[in-house]
Order: sequence, then structure tokens, then C-alpha cells
Amino acid sequence: MAMKGFTRKFKPLEIITEEQVEAIHRGILDVLQTTGVRFESKRALKLFEKNDCQVDYDNMRVKFPPGLVEECLRRCPSSFRVKAREPKNDLIIGGNTVYFVASPGMQTVDLDTWEPRPATKKEYYDTVKIMDALPNLHLFCCYTPYFGFEGIPEVMKIPEGLAAKIRNSNKFTWSCFSNDCEIFNIKMVKAVGTETIILAMMASPPLTYYNSAIECAFRTLEADLPIGVDTGTVFGATGPATIAGSLVTYTAELVAGIVLIQLIKPGTRTFIAGFPHPQNMRSGSPAFGDIGISLFDVAFNQICRKYEIPCRNTASAYSSSKKMDFQCGYERGIPAILSAVSGAQFIHVHGGMYGELAHHPIQDILDDDVAGMIGRFIEGVEVSDETLAIDLIEKVGPIPGFYLNKEHTRKWWRKEQFVPEVADRLTYPEWINSGKKTAFDYAKKRMEEILATHKVDPPLTNSQEEDIERILKEAREYYRKKGLITDEEWETYKKVLR
Amino acid sequence: MSNEILENLKKAILEYESEKAANLAREALEKKIDPAKALNVMTEAVRQVGDGFGRGELWLPDLVGAADAMQSAMPIIQKEIERKGMKVETLGVVVVGTVFGDIHSIGKTMVCTLLAAEGFTVYDLGVNVTAEKFIEAVKKYKADILAMSALMTMTAPEQRKVIAILKKENLRDKVKVMVGGGSLTEEFAKNIGADGYDPTAPGGAKLARRLLNK
Amino acid sequence: MLKGFTRKFKPLEILTEEHVEAIHRGILDVLQETGVRFESKRALKLFEKNDCQVDWSNNQVRFPPALVEECLRKAPSSFRIKARDPKNDLIIGGNTVYFEPGVGMQTIDIDTWELRTATRKENYDGVTILDALDTVHFLSCYCPYFGFDNVPSVMAMLESVAAKIRNSTKAQWSGYQGREVFVIEMAKAAGIELLGNIICSPPLTYYGDGVENIFRFIEAGFPIDVCGGGTIAGATGPATVAGSLIADGALNVAGIVLVQLIKPGTRVIVQGGAGPQNMRQGSPAFGAIGGSLHNVAYNQIFRHYKIPIMDAGCYAGSSKRIDYQNGYEKAIPAVLAALSGANLIGFHGGMYGELSWHPFQAIIDDDVAGMIGRFIEGIKVNDETLAIDLIEKVGPIPGFYLNKEHTRKWWKKEQFVPKVADRLTYPEWMKTGKKSCLDYAKERMDEIAATHKVAIPLTSSQEKDIERILKEARKYYKEKGLI
Repeated sequence: MAMKGFTRKFKPLEIITEEQVEAIHRGILDVLQTTGVRFESKRALKLFEKNDCQVDYDNMRVKFPPGLVEECLRRCPSSFRVKAREPKNDLIIGGNTVYFVASPGMQTVDLDTWEPRPATKKEYYDTVKIMDALPNLHLFCCYTPYFGFEGIPEVMKIPEGLAAKIRNSNKFTWSCFSNDCEIFNIKMVKAVGTETIILAMMASPPLTYYNSAIECAFRTLEADLPIGVDTGTVFGATGPATIAGSLVTYTAELVAGIVLIQLIKPGTRTFIAGFPHPQNMRSGSPAFGDIGISLFDVAFNQICRKYEIPCRNTASAYSSSKKMDFQCGYERGIPAILSAVSGAQFIHVHGGMYGELAHHPIQDILDDDVAGMIGRFIEGVEVSDETLAIDLIEKVGPIPGFYLNKEHTRKWWRKEQFVPEVADRLTYPEWINSGKKTAFDYAKKRMEEILATHKVDPPLTNSQEEDIERILKEAREYYRKKGLITDEEWETYKKVLR
Repeated sequence: MSNEILENLKKAILEYESEKAANLAREALEKKIDPAKALNVMTEAVRQVGDGFGRGELWLPDLVGAADAMQSAMPIIQKEIERKGMKVETLGVVVVGTVFGDIHSIGKTMVCTLLAAEGFTVYDLGVNVTAEKFIEAVKKYKADILAMSALMTMTAPEQRKVIAILKKENLRDKVKVMVGGGSLTEEFAKNIGADGYDPTAPGGAKLARRLLNK
Repeated sequence: MLKGFTRKFKPLEILTEEHVEAIHRGILDVLQETGVRFESKRALKLFEKNDCQVDWSNNQVRFPPALVEECLRKAPSSFRIKARDPKNDLIIGGNTVYFEPGVGMQTIDIDTWELRTATRKENYDGVTILDALDTVHFLSCYCPYFGFDNVPSVMAMLESVAAKIRNSTKAQWSGYQGREVFVIEMAKAAGIELLGNIICSPPLTYYGDGVENIFRFIEAGFPIDVCGGGTIAGATGPATVAGSLIADGALNVAGIVLVQLIKPGTRVIVQGGAGPQNMRQGSPAFGAIGGSLHNVAYNQIFRHYKIPIMDAGCYAGSSKRIDYQNGYEKAIPAVLAALSGANLIGFHGGMYGELSWHPFQAIIDDDVAGMIGRFIEGIKVNDETLAIDLIEKVGPIPGFYLNKEHTRKWWKKEQFVPKVADRLTYPEWMKTGKKSCLDYAKERMDEIAATHKVAIPLTSSQEKDIERILKEARKYYKEKGLI
């Protein structure tokens, strides 16, 4: 059986009306037909032309007939399975199922100073192992836990990261592309008999796709793998300052990518990623933790439901706070519950701290409680004669009636309650006796426990391990030859590999 | 045969079956099983559940379920022990209750269960217990310890009143007084003149041992 | 009138219509078959006169369903509460969401995070801060603290109401325990209404003083908060959410019936609230998600009854500090309450259980409430916000939006800008000494203390009245031997 994740058992939250969804959809069709999207790839342009799009080769602009757009949207399956290394970790994506995804961070943070610093190779592998052990973390994102680790050249970050996740976990993982690295990623997942979703069709807002993204998409589809379309609008910078306006440009970018995918290979398993943000009008950086992201995401989920294509939300991935503090808690807790009640299939929760810049395993462990709590919420209220318990209420009556000693309580409480692993649930006196421990202290202890006891089950076979190592070697040689790993980088890298 | 009945009695408590436990207690006495032995297996069962709770494997509803099952069988066995004029081995007699003005029973019930599991003889007076009732029970059962539970600090006057009556009736030297509850403190305990305080139920059971040097 | 926030979309619903009906029928069934215990002769007589079946031996009242439904219909679906300053009047009901502070028995020492009793000055300063915070629309009973240093417990509530009348012009509610005579006098002296309160004791019980109290509040013409008293699922209510909804709902509905029998059409807000029991410690599991499952479903049921709802309990988590856990344990329930139709949400300043409150927390929570408020106001979709013409004009890369008139006009309307959240980049943050929201909250507190004045101070005759009533009360309780 595939991984269960959590199932939303009630109708999703909707914050715009059906007419407003329609208005945004018409806006998208309008922009795709009148403004069009720039595709910097001859191969793609030709394919579009062949399928009755209007192509301007001078500025690489493609204008799409609405009929074709809608047909391509229909070609996407609304639910599909992706294979993990362990069948119990396969995902069936779509519908009311919610999976929690780890949030990527460029670096780790120093817990004494809260400053970011690069993770070591050991920290990278250890964090993957911790994430493998957390029950409410269902899959990895490409750059999780970190963008890379100390001492590896830029071009090897993605392949080395994927190898670490394959070695220290058998959960499913997404992957990305950069400098053709998808060639090696595809080889690696095939070598261990699994799949990955490559977030290949990555748009560059506004309304542009560069060649590398398009090439990666062709490669992904040739390998018969599922694919993700992605974009990252900043409202007021790369998209309009209004949420409705940015919904139009953002979704138009994604839909244009979907059209290309479904033209290359109809029926391809496709999911919609995306990374929207308001702009911080003081610093110019994205406003992480802003409630505007949730307003955007919840409306976006409504549009994706109309298209019947699975999607992800990132609002809960990051906060603007630099510490694991109250702000980090509300800036990520609120978006997480909003995404879960409004129908996102993937939600980034675990481990993210400030922006895309920091991740920490202790945050992963804290967030596993948050994910579990939200998962419990969306599973809703069971209403049956037994749960309504009218006979029991009659039997217990007014004070001094009491429920704790009843069979009904023993049977039901554990199904109804979510019991967190590391939250502080003590009374004041107990808490003082405990040395005033916080969730953070308990998370630290759980981290040590996991590292001491958790085993990846099953581990890679020897021959799989050999394959991974061989493919990594190939990648290293490829980039050395291309001059993308300098001699200096190579010397440091070799030390890390030892 | 007798072993089987005792095993089943223990099992009934471990499975939180009150009615079954009471029936098995009666059956045991009909079959002339030594009531002290029956008492032993019951105490052993509650202790097992208490240990499971201490290890974090079992939870409050289990603890309270076991205590309920034990308490349904207990009077039957106790009556027989008294009838035979046998002496029950016990660490001491504890009278427990939630003080007048407070109807919170959870902490109190936990303490009762854990005290029983430690090997004390426990008399649970329930919630909203007046000072007079506490004193009456201390006399009747010749209590070694009086344990008062309260969630709210507002009940301090009531607890002082109990201690004052104990003094007046020359009982204060004969019985140790312990207090516990969610918002009480060491300072509060000293203030009202109690002998000991612990915020938690497991701590309360250990405190009872310390107060009696057992 | 205070605007508060308006939810501009359909509320979140987690029960089907059939579920709501099943729970409603369960409530009627329990009210008729099990009944509710009222320890008040006066109430029992009134119930008997209105065709309820009263068992005088155990004070249990059994209600005919038709009477219950009639009384639910008599309660208004929206109503006004008068504040000292008319611009702070509230109109409670519909899709409007107001926030009110949480409460705490004590304050905490911010260095050790331990509890200690607040001073009189801290209590008054706390009220000033609440008066200054835009997202605090209403002042809760016993907020900020249950009492302060050297105030005898019988005077705690009166002193608390007096502090709020003196240092704020916002509307407030009041508890009871025999003190309502003086409280009502004080409200009348200040020209305000108080939201009175009847609190019940689950399972299915109303004690006498609570009942006596609402007779007095209703005679004074004040609106009433029917407060469920916090059913604990697995202890004072069934362990299942559905079962606790019935137990808690029946108890509240019985209170509403009493209120409407005393005086039909009395303004009522219902305050449900059940949460799971912490099955390790035996205490309520504050901040547990089960509390939200209950609240959201509860809101759906009382929206069905068209009675305004208070979700008072969104202020308490289980953490003892202002930390990550506290952040998610408070924020998630608050946003769920706002989405699902609560009209009043208890939030600012509360920390662990009802035990602790702190002004820093209140100031940080002002941002959270603002953020939630911004969310429920939703998205504007029209030709101008869709901006199709602008998109056409800007086109693909190197098109850019920051320098456009449309951006200058709209960004502030679309974004919520927090006051004390850390929104810096890493380099800026390091340069400013790594300040967190807690540091900014301290700064804002100092600023409020230095600059905020209550908009309309009490007149000297009002002040004299308040002091006179307090004196009378002190004398009364001294004579009764309660001080």
C-alpha cells in the first residue's frame, strides 16, 4: 500500500467565488493568447507552431489558442502514483490527500548565535536520516535538507544531495536541474528502481522559460518520469502587486509549461509547484511569512482544483524570523493549516526557518508535531452513534458524573486526540521540576535518540551502492571536463569525499 | 483451580473489567481461597499498570480503569479479611480527597491509584470533601496520612481549617498531612502547615513513603 | 462602532449538514432524557412554570424540544454592546470577527519564565497596552490578570473591572461570584454595558451562584455570555469530539433557554469550548488540535442556531515561554476560529493555560490578529486587480512591476505589514543586534507606556462614583468576614 499521508474529510475552504475563479481563468487564457509567453528553445517553439500556436521567432514569443490550452489541461491526470524505493513509501498524489514535504534551506544555523553557516557532509547525511525517521514527513524536496554541503562544487550539489537521500532514506524525493545534472539524477533513481519528480519546467517570471528548463523537461519525459512545473512570482516585482493580478501571471506561466509537457507527451503525470511571495517593500527581498502568500495559495488551490491538477503550497515553508521563536511558530503554523484546509496536495512544513536560507533538524522535529496536529485536524470529526455517545451521556449524567474511567474513553481517546512527541505538556510545577524544558529541548533529545537508533530499512544493496557511486563519478568527470569544477574546487571536494 | 481464579482476577484488573473482577473476587471466596492472596494479586495488577504508566506505555484512562476494577473487587475481599480477623500487610493507611470548594478529581484519582500500587491502604473520600468529613475518616480508619488535593489556591482557608481541627482534636501528631494539586506550591504547603507537598501524582506516592520513612 | 474584521467568504465547515442535524438531535435528546442540574430554586420554578419536567430531589430539569427550539429562536442573531466611547461599541454577529485578550492568573518573570503575582501598576499598565492595541476590540473578564498584589480574592473582579473602566474606553465583560451587584453599579456609573456571564460546570450542571448572577444581569438589561465552562473530553465529557459537542452543546443550550425564559429577546453570545484531556498529567491539553476540531464544529452548529459565538480559548498553549510551540499552538486555533465563524476570539497575551499573561505576548499577538484579520478579508477580484492590461504591457522578462503606478496604488491594500515581527534580511538583522519580535515588542511596550493616553478619561464625578462603589464593596466584604 502506498503512503497514506492525511486525508481531508470535509469540503475545502474557498475564499473566492466560482465567478471569481472563472474571471481568473479567463484572464489566464487572455494573457496566454494576447501577451503570450517567451520560450527560449527552438525545439519547443517548433512544437508549439506545429500545434497551432502563434509563434514569433524573433522574440521567441508563443501565443496560445484557448482551445489548445484547455485540452492540454485536461490531458493531465488528476491522480497518479509515483514510486519510492520502498513500496510503502509510494505516493498516490491527488484528490483530498495531503502529504507533508520538507522545506529546503541553503545552510544550517548555529544554535548559539542563530547565524547561518554551511552544513557539513555529516550534518547533511544525519539530517536526512532524521527526516527518514519522522512519521509525518512524507517526502523530500530537491534541495532538502540543504542546498549542498561544505566543500562540494556548485554543480555537484544536486547529484550529491540526491545520492544522500537515496542512501539515508527510502522516502520519495523530488529533484531539480542545473547544468544538465538531471542526466545523472535520472540514472541514479533508475539504478535503485525508484522514480523522482523533477521540477523541470521552471519558469522565470514574468512569462519566460529559459532553455535549460525546457531541455530538462524533454529529458524527464524521455525517461518516462513524472514532472513538476514551477514558477516563483514576487507580487509587485515580477508580477502585479495585487493578488488577483499575480494569480493571473503566475498561473499563466505554469499553464504554458503544462501545455508544452502535454504536447511533448500527452498524459504525463504533472504536478504544479510554484513559490509565490509579496515583496518586502523595505528591503526588496521576498516577504517570507507574509499572510499574502496564504491568500494567494488558498485561491490558487481553488484554481488547481478546477483544473484537476495536484499542486503544492510553500507559504508554511519559511518565516522571516531568524530564530525558532514565537514569530516562526505563527508565521508558519497559520499558512500550514490554511493550505491543508484549502486543498493543497503537498505542503512544505518541516525544517524551514528564515527564507530559503536556513534549515535545521531540530526544526524538522518540532514541525513533525505541527504536521501531525494539522493532519489530525483535516481528518475531521467522526460522527456515528458510537462517537455521539448519547447513551453514555445519559448514563454519566450531571456532576459527579465522570468520563475518565469509562470503557468508551479508553477505546476512543487515542483515536480522537493527537499526542505530540516533543511539545511541552507539563503543568507549571512539573515543568519547573523538569528543569524548565521546552519543546526545543525535547526535540534535541529526540534528535539524539533518532541518530543513535534509527536504521534505514532496507538499506541500499551493495550493487545499488556501487551504481550510485559510479554515477556520481561520471558526473564529477563530466563537470571536470566541462571546466565547471576548477582544480582548486576539486582538491577541496576530494577531501570531503574521503 | 485456585491459581486459575487468581490469575483471572489479576487479568480482569489488567483488562479494566470491573464487573468481572468483582465476580471473580466473590468466586475466590466461595472457593475458600485465602483473601490475603487475592489482595496480593490485585495489588500486583495495579502495580503493573502503574509501572506501565511510569514508563509512558500506558495512559491515564488505563490507570483509572485498573483502579476502578480493583475498587470494585476490594470491598468484597476486605470484608472477608476483617471477618477472619486477619491483618493486612500495608505500608500505611491513607485518607484521600479533594477539598471542599473544589470538584477536580483527576489528580486525586491518580494519587489514589498510585498509592494503592505502592502498597498503601487507600480510602478515597471523593471530591468537594468538607473538613468534618476528613476528620471523621481520619478517626474511623486510623489514618497514617491525610492527603488533600486541590487545583485552586483559593481553597487554602479550607485546608487550614482541616489542620486546625486536627490540632484541636489532638490528632495532628498522629497523622501526616500532604497536599498536592496543579497550582499549589511548596510555599503554599508550608503556609497552611502541611508536612509535605508534591505537584505530581507519582511524586505524591513517593512522598507518602518518605513521610512514613518506608 | 468598531469595525473589527469581516470574513468575506463562506466559513470553513468540517461537518456535513447531516452531522449538524445528528448533533442537534443529540442535544435535544440529552436535554429531554438526561436533563441538566440547576442548583437554583428560582430557576427550577421558572422551568417548571414553562412546562419543563423538574425533579426537585436532584434539581434535574428535563426540557421539551419545542421549548428549546423556541428559546433558541428568541435570541437575537446580532446585537450591540455599548462601550464608554461610542466608537468602541461592538455590533456582534454575522461575519464580523472581533478579538479580545486572553487572561492569566498571574504574570511571568521574563528572565526565569516563572509565575508571579502582578502588581497593581502592572495590571493598570496592561489595560493601557490593551487600550492601545488596534486589534483588541473588547476586554475580557479578568483580563489582563485575575487579580493583583494585595487584593483580597473577593475584590479581584471588582478591582479588575474598575481598572478597565479607568484605563480604557473599550467595551468589556464581567464574571460573577456574588460581586455582580457592585459591578452592575459601576457599569451604570460609567455609562456602559457589561457582558454578563453565566458559567456552567460540566457535565450538565449549573451551580447556584452562577444562576443567581444572571438574573441580576438580565434585570439590569445587560447582554449575557453563556459560558460552557470548558468540557474536558475524556474527563467531564465523552472522549470523542462528536460526543463532547453534544455534552457541551446541551449544557450551553440549557443556559440559553434559562436566559430567554427570564427575559425573551435577551442578547446572548455563546461560549463553547472543549478540549482533550492530557492523558499523562490529567490537566487539560491546552493548545491541542482537538480543541480546534471541537470549536470549528461547534461554530457550525451555533451558526445553524443563528446565535453569536465566542471562541474565548485561543489564547492558551501548553508552552511556558513565548516560543515556537506557543506560536503554533495559539495561531492555528485562532485562524481556525476566524475561518469558521467565531464572532469574538480570545487571543492577546495569554500564555500557558489560564495561568499566565504577559504584555509582550499581547503586543506580538496584535500582529498575529492583524494577519488573521487580513486573511479573512479575502481577495478583491475585479478588472483593476486582475490587471490584464498591465500584464500585457509589462510582458515577459525584462518586464518589471515595481516601478508601476498600479504597484504604488495597490501594494499596501493587499499586504499586511506587521508592527513587531522581524522582517529583516540576514545582514540587516546582524547589523541591528539580532533583534527578534520579542525585542521589538519590548520597544513597542515602552513607546505605548510613554505616549498612549486613554481617549476619554473618566469625569471626576464618574471617578468618585467608582471609588465610592469600591469602598462600599470593601466594607461589605469586611463585614461579611471575607476580607
